[in-house]
Amino acid sequence: MALTQFTNLDYEQIKKSIKDYLRASSNFSDYDFEGSNFSILVDVLAYNTYITAYNTNAVVNEVFLDSAILRENVVSLARNIGYVPKSVNASRMIVTINVILPDNVNPPTIKLKAGLIATATTNDVSYVFSIPEDITTNVVNGVASFSNITLYEGSYAMSAFTVDTTQSSQNYIIENSGVDINTLSVRVRPTVQDYSYDIYKKVDTIVGITTTSNNYLVQEVSGERYQIIFGDGIISKKLENNNYIEASYVITNGIDGNGVKTASFNGIIVDNLETILTGSTASMSIISGSKDGADIESINSIKYYAPRKYAAQSRAVSSQDYETIITEIYPNTESIVAYGGEELSPPQYGKVFIVIKPKSGDTLSQFTKDTILNQLKPYSIAGIVPQIIDMLYLYVELNSSIYYNPALTTDKDALKTNIIDCLNAYVTDSEANGFGGRIKYSKIIGLIDNVSNAVTSNITKIKMRRNLNVVAGKAAQYEICFGNRFHKKLEGYSIKSSGFKISNNNETFYLGDIPSTSNMNMGTVVFFTLDAQNNPVISKNNAGTINYLIGEIRIDSVIIASTVLNDNIIEVEAIPESNDVIGLKDLYLKVDISKSSFEMINDTITSGANISGTQFVTTSSYPNGKYTR
Amino acid sequence: MTVKISRGFKDFSLSFKKHPITNDLIVLTNESAIKNAVINLIRTRVGEKFFNSSIGTNVNNSIFELQSVAIAIQLENEINQVLKNYEPRIFVNDIRIIFPEDSNEISISIDYDIIGIPATTQQLTTLLKPTRV
Repeated sequence: MALTQFTNLDYEQIKKSIKDYLRASSNFSDYDFEGSNFSILVDVLAYNTYITAYNTNAVVNEVFLDSAILRENVVSLARNIGYVPKSVNASRMIVTINVILPDNVNPPTIKLKAGLIATATTNDVSYVFSIPEDITTNVVNGVASFSNITLYEGSYAMSAFTVDTTQSSQNYIIENSGVDINTLSVRVRPTVQDYSYDIYKKVDTIVGITTTSNNYLVQEVSGERYQIIFGDGIISKKLENNNYIEASYVITNGIDGNGVKTASFNGIIVDNLETILTGSTASMSIISGSKDGADIESINSIKYYAPRKYAAQSRAVSSQDYETIITEIYPNTESIVAYGGEELSPPQYGKVFIVIKPKSGDTLSQFTKDTILNQLKPYSIAGIVPQIIDMLYLYVELNSSIYYNPALTTDKDALKTNIIDCLNAYVTDSEANGFGGRIKYSKIIGLIDNVSNAVTSNITKIKMRRNLNVVAGKAAQYEICFGNRFHKKLEGYSIKSSGFKISNNNETFYLGDIPSTSNMNMGTVVFFTLDAQNNPVISKNNAGTINYLIGEIRIDSVIIASTVLNDNIIEVEAIPESNDVIGLKDLYLKVDISKSSFEMINDTITSGANISGTQFVTTSSYPNGKYTR
Repeated sequence: MTVKISRGFKDFSLSFKKHPITNDLIVLTNESAIKNAVINLIRTRVGEKFFNSSIGTNVNNSIFELQSVAIAIQLENEINQVLKNYEPRIFVNDIRIIFPEDSNEISISIDYDIIGIPATTQQLTTLLKPTRV
């Protein structure tokens, strides 16, 4: 009996199994010959088995969170462990709208009606901004102001349902996709004719909910739509027959709506009697342009965060708990790292440091930081103070000399562009960018070699760079951590910098280092200028210390007046001891292709133009001898 | 030279009719089984077999081609190749492709010897013609 491999997905193997079976038990003999009628029957049986095996395999894959690939199934499996995937997030714009009423109109309050508020066009794409609920404000001396209100990018929409208790399982599913669930506003009226209503609030857990709480839960269902789930009279209030549910929300474009900085007011303003105000003048000023829009959570993200959120149990205890919970409360998170203060040197006990890379932009505003910290409070354990700190970038620059065979390419510039495109694609990968990212040197050189047959080899050097933001005109100490061991040159000048000026001195200075003779891991930082031959002239010894082992530069108190580069930045570079550079702790690793260099060199040996190699251009595999950036 | 004698070839008929006396499935044996297999191979279109596009010929597809020696030679080669690869029970002696004039038909005659059982040289002639003219 040969049919033991029931889940075989190889058609030929299945066919062989059937033939083996027939060989042992059949009266017929021609199944071995492809032209026979029996062979046709064997083909059909094998094909049927193959399809069944494939379907079984696909079905079983969809049963587990790790292997499921259909969003509906991934979401369903995540739901089993209490995880609600993040919806698309509308980009938010903060504005103030001032309204001047006509002389003869003086209501006590006016109301900005829910719905369209502003329109904008950016890069030839039109966007609308809405609010999901009415906003009321007082009128003082004929003037009213809606201050710092948040507009959501997208269209305002409403779904309504009538509760029918005769149905055993009535589902309240919002038919639109692209709904920002954070803008969902639910009201329940006693009947469709009765305009009084109760406001229901969304909850994520059932903790603290009573039998009369006006709460609802939300879950994602098929087609990226959402279902509203009300209570059953035990957990939250149960709806009654003929109750009328109104769910209003914003349908958004997500991340595409970010970056809108100008918009014009198109909203509707009514007085306290719901009469549209005519003759009033409304002016809108934008406090902050649209940002924080994000797309719906991806399948990979759900697979990653669902089990972790379950492990965190809605409590921020370990650093990974913070990472999981913050991505939940701040969906615009692209990458995040959290670590305890005890890991620092010197340790800061009782603190958790969190660094967040938002999807749009590089840093978080203070308002966003405060909001996140407030939302984090219910999860935090007593005595631990979370602190959000700004991003620190560790840039990696490539210096690549690429040999190519001119016989295999007609356009070396196009080849160079291809190489840069490929590297750009690689560096946008999360493996190379992000917290805990790692540059895999062998991958990079392999990638360059494999772009085209015309590339014969490449010599690629790697250097790290940090941008030092100086406090111009004030005495300050600086510490620059690279998180990677420096390659130390015995004669010094292992680090290079862009120029800067010190107060009361008109010369341009640069950073350098001199290794210690007593401690091989340490050295001193020096300030130097360049003479006419571009040789260094040390102006200040002992300007600080350098630790080659841990990749750290400390500069003692100094007043830096200005920098050669804009924005008060000194670029400091170093050669890593290992070409595989990592993003340590709070360092966000970023390959900077724009500051990398790529030189195309004719490989005269491979092309046959100069087989003897006498005209071959050699490239050093070691850093250049310059002292400055 | 020793000749290997097989225990015989046995296949069933795709008509799935029952034998009038035994009431069992009609069985094809030896020469008839092989003849049936040869016809099956010739009439199988390339790509028709699951996961094996090398089985089959373009005979069916050539029925409306213009008559030419080139097509006849091509079909002859294809038939020869498929029989050589997938019908090891026969040795092909001759293949003749004839296009009857103005009839959109292909007449294929194959002479072959059966290997493994004592049988005379077999001659198979099959005519392919369109079902609608």
